[in-house]
Amino acid sequence: MFQKIKFFYLSIISILIGMRVTLKNMFVPRITLNYPIKKQSMKKKHRGMVDLIPPDCVICYQCIKICPVAALDLAHKQEVAADGKKVKEITKFTFNGELCCFCGLCEEICPTDAIYLSQMYEVSVFSHEDVLNIDLMDPKKYAHIDSAYSTPEKKPNKN
Amino acid sequence: MADLGALFLQGSAVLGFIAVSAMYLVWLERKVSAVIQNRMGPMIVGWHGSLQTVADVVKLLLKENIVPTGVDKLAWWLAPFFVMVPPVMAFLCIPFGQKLIVNDLNVGILYIASVTSVCVLGIFMAGWGSNNKYSLLGGMRSAAQIISYEVPLLLSITLVVMHTGTLSMQGIVAAQAHGWFILKPGLALAFLVYLISATAEVNRVPFDIPEAESELGAGYHTEYTGMKFAIFFLSEYTNVFIVSSVAATLFLGGWQGPFLPPLVWFLLKVYGIIFFLMWVRWTLPRVRMDQMMAFAWKFLTPLALLNILVSGWALVK
Repeated sequence: MFQKIKFFYLSIISILIGMRVTLKNMFVPRITLNYPIKKQSMKKKHRGMVDLIPPDCVICYQCIKICPVAALDLAHKQEVAADGKKVKEITKFTFNGELCCFCGLCEEICPTDAIYLSQMYEVSVFSHEDVLNIDLMDPKKYAHIDSAYSTPEKKPNKN
Repeated sequence: MADLGALFLQGSAVLGFIAVSAMYLVWLERKVSAVIQNRMGPMIVGWHGSLQTVADVVKLLLKENIVPTGVDKLAWWLAPFFVMVPPVMAFLCIPFGQKLIVNDLNVGILYIASVTSVCVLGIFMAGWGSNNKYSLLGGMRSAAQIISYEVPLLLSITLVVMHTGTLSMQGIVAAQAHGWFILKPGLALAFLVYLISATAEVNRVPFDIPEAESELGAGYHTEYTGMKFAIFFLSEYTNVFIVSSVAATLFLGGWQGPFLPPLVWFLLKVYGIIFFLMWVRWTLPRVRMDQMMAFAWKFLTPLALLNILVSGWALVK
């Protein structure tokens, strides 16, 4: 009999404790975000889609050589200017988002911090072609994912 | 002719209120669950997702109406009407205010209790007619559950009737002019018994074994699609409103209260109780079938009877 009363008492207490827990959680800030409208900011060192700051690139081909999956494609032409100096100019610099494994080696090897992995984490696109040949020279290269995004002047500080 | 017009107006007012109320109860349920689980809930359609249910209703109306093979046609088609009509009928004598009542029957509370217990018939018909073992199990469980919990529910209502000496809803409200019934010890216990049995009566967690998702799919409405499913949903939330408004009328003083208009007071009390039911739903786990039946017959019914005995003795002393 005593056991039964104790059991009953403990059951009621545990229900009340549970109710208190849920009541407390009603006044806790929300954990989830209203996603498409508000977006979570990534960590500084987040490795997202590859981005390039074209004026900083010295066409050293280091990133092309180190890329383990050959996701980058670079071509350039050389011209002699009026004062006799050789001037290199990029003719094609594309990035294949389908192959990229987000290892960050291109960013590590780049001597001028021209190529880097941005914070762009939404990588889905509507058409297969949109992800195959992303033109890194275009500042609005990710306009189909986020219209507000454009390549910054300088590589963001990641430390 | 004028009577017919008034009847038509009252009927459409009640039906409109039921539809809007059930719609916003669904939204409220989703919001309360979201708040308890630290989520946002519906946010896209309308202000904080307030038009989400409208979108859902449009979706349900446009859905295909699938009739499974081998259903018992008559039972299967009639079941949604059997679950929807009783709660609508019960609105006849719910007092929203001094004059805001369709008809103040002199057997009001008895009428509500007897009419709403017809609901179980519809649920069992749905379970039987669906030609699905899970639906049948759900329907049978529901019948057992609702019939068992009807006993303590009616016993706790009996106590209120013993105190007031009237079955009329307005009479019960008038009897609480000098203090709500929940403030009297015997009736407070009756309120607790009523609330527990009412939760079971409307098949809500922790007594939602008729539709226990994890074991029965969705119980008696597994096979229903489109508007028929929506009618089951509508009836469920209308039933929640009915039991909460009966609780507010019987124990919390109905539409009475200072400063604010009666309608506001009534809706405040009703939605307060509904919020409490939702809070319980998103806190407690489901009980087992045998535990639930044992709780009804071995604990709740004796408790209600004992309560009547003690309070009745105090009344006639």
